[in-house]
Amino acid sequence: MPRPVPSSQPRLAPGCRWSTRDEQPVLLFPEGMVRLQGPAQYILELCDGHRTLEEIVATLSERYASSSEQKISEDVLSFLEALQKKRLVDY
Amino acid sequence: MIPNPLALIAEVTHRCPLHCVYCSNPLKLVSRKAELSSGEWARVFGEAAQLGVLHLHLTGGEPAARIDLESLILAGHQAGLYTNLITSGVGISAARLSRLVEAGLDHIQLSFQDSQNRLANWIAGAKAHAHKISLARAIRALPVAFTVNLVVHRQNLDHIDEMIEFTKQLEPQRVEVAHAQYYGWALKNRDALLPTGDQLEKCLRAVEKARQSLAGKMRIDSVVPDYYARYPKACMGGWGQRILLIDPSGGALPCHAAGVIPGLHFDNVREHPLGWIWTSSDAFQKFRGEGWMSGTCKNCERRFTDFGGCRCQAFLVTGNASATDPVCSLSPDHDLIKIAQSQAGREGERLSLHYRTQEP
Repeated sequence: MPRPVPSSQPRLAPGCRWSTRDEQPVLLFPEGMVRLQGPAQYILELCDGHRTLEEIVATLSERYASSSEQKISEDVLSFLEALQKKRLVDY
Repeated sequence: MIPNPLALIAEVTHRCPLHCVYCSNPLKLVSRKAELSSGEWARVFGEAAQLGVLHLHLTGGEPAARIDLESLILAGHQAGLYTNLITSGVGISAARLSRLVEAGLDHIQLSFQDSQNRLANWIAGAKAHAHKISLARAIRALPVAFTVNLVVHRQNLDHIDEMIEFTKQLEPQRVEVAHAQYYGWALKNRDALLPTGDQLEKCLRAVEKARQSLAGKMRIDSVVPDYYARYPKACMGGWGQRILLIDPSGGALPCHAAGVIPGLHFDNVREHPLGWIWTSSDAFQKFRGEGWMSGTCKNCERRFTDFGGCRCQAFLVTGNASATDPVCSLSPDHDLIKIAQSQAGREGERLSLHYRTQEP
């Protein structure tokens, strides 16, 4: 599977969704769940299938201004790749 | 402090058009007329969500044998639960599948008995294989997570590579290489189903190879079958700790096979709220925590990791439900498992299979 490119539009994979019930966000998927917070939660909330990777990185750079855009871009790439291997994200 | 349950296993019926020899359902199956109605299930799903349950696993028997499966899924979805359907696919047409997804189905887990038509139908005691393949195609076209469940045992492990290769054409996101678990019908057929040590090693290698070559396409999940593991499985994440099971007639069980343990009374959701059953019923209290443990477990540092293994398996193999699960290499009864292993695949054995059958 190739790495995501700037024009990729990452989204949650089929069968992977946010719980609509709890106040604290819980990501539900086949045979599992994970309670997310901080940047991980924020990145995944931006993965709506419309925003491009480029736009997501730009949004994150505004929010986390103390990190370089390149560092953010690398972190997002490896995060999305890891979740794609678990079949939680498509891009 | 008793934790909240996270998952509810709903055995919505014991009826099933298949007769799989590895079925882990109890030998004494619940009849149709004793089954909970869809209204009763809907109430149970609501109570489960209130208790903190996140995942609902609809299983059986074959859940699609119920004509109201659509409304069961809708009720689970409306209660805010993540709905997973564990099915043989029989009784689900492409049109019905669309209705199930429309009702809020999140994940479908479709079982396969083999890669080869003849062998698959032999293990299932029914002609189901071809339908499963065409249903897989329909699933891929819909927005629902798709897992293929390959059930493996001595009769098919010799061609595990071929079976994993076969799953590629079905294009699931996830494959579970599920070793038969020796309860119910599977225990009755254990002599024919328990793999040999060689088969198991070959299987581990095949799974590892496939994980690498299919990374990013298909996720492959598999665990070492407990008869060959050094330590037991953390059955149900601990008795009364994370999971509860409701049988077709509303009996609440802490483990699939708990019905075999003598002297346990299972309270029914028709008579008690689910919250009371979870926190206070005798069956859920019986093996909660570590008070019941034998010396082997009580003094073991793994007691919070695997909780002494499975109570039902301990009873089925040793006759004592409080014993250390005999699959544990530290169990004083472990030789019973070694004997079963050494009998697997003896030369010149005569194969006799007991198919799962239900009294009308």
